Amino acid sequence: MEKKKLCIGLYSGSVDKLTAAGIILSGAVADDMHVDIYVLLQGARAFRKDIGDNPDKLQMAENPAMKAEFLQSLKNLKVKTWVEFFRECKTISEVKIHICGLAGKIWGAEKLDDFIDIADDICGIGAYITATQEADVNLFI
Amino acid sequence: MSAEELKTLHVTKIVDARGTACPGPLLEAKKAVGTIKHGDIMEVLSADEGTKTDLPKWCAKQGHEYLGTIEENGFFRVFMKKN
Repeated sequence: MEKKKLCIGLYSGSVDKLTAAGIILSGAVADDMHVDIYVLLQGARAFRKDIGDNPDKLQMAENPAMKAEFLQSLKNLKVKTWVEFFRECKTISEVKIHICGLAGKIWGAEKLDDFIDIADDICGIGAYITATQEADVNLFI
Repeated sequence: MSAEELKTLHVTKIVDARGTACPGPLLEAKKAVGTIKHGDIMEVLSADEGTKTDLPKWCAKQGHEYLGTIEENGFFRVFMKKN
């Protein structure tokens, strides 16, 4: 049976939305879905090597004043960081992470090596649009 | 299956996911099911309330047989058979 495809347009670079993306991704790989993640504008900053898993360098999209409380609560509940979620999911099912070339340039990162090692390639918007047309489920976060 | 019947099952693998919140138990179950044979029974221990609904639905989608859940003091024992 052909596996279902999930396409995520990951626009957000905020720690709360990235965590949500990691949780959704976990559910998708548990279901054996193939997932393509297209990292767009704000998201590309979070994928920079020097930012990635450092929550001090990421903002909160919702309730920004409660960032410390949010992060502490995740820690208390032993919830993985967003990078840990993404990394683990790549070992369970086919998960490809594509970084928008323009987004990378905006944040001063042009080569694949400038991003954390879970990124698979740098792409253009055409690849994202094609993926949305081929996916069974599309999410924009 | 009744709780009594579940307790008599020969469990091949126990996955203790009590230290993790959602989606931890689901991911642990997903990883563990790949390590057992068809027909084997797996038991997942979870303290996460969502697991009670998550794992039966996951079993149905994946083609495994959900056998039942026993509620213990502060955690759940979810039983499934790999198909």
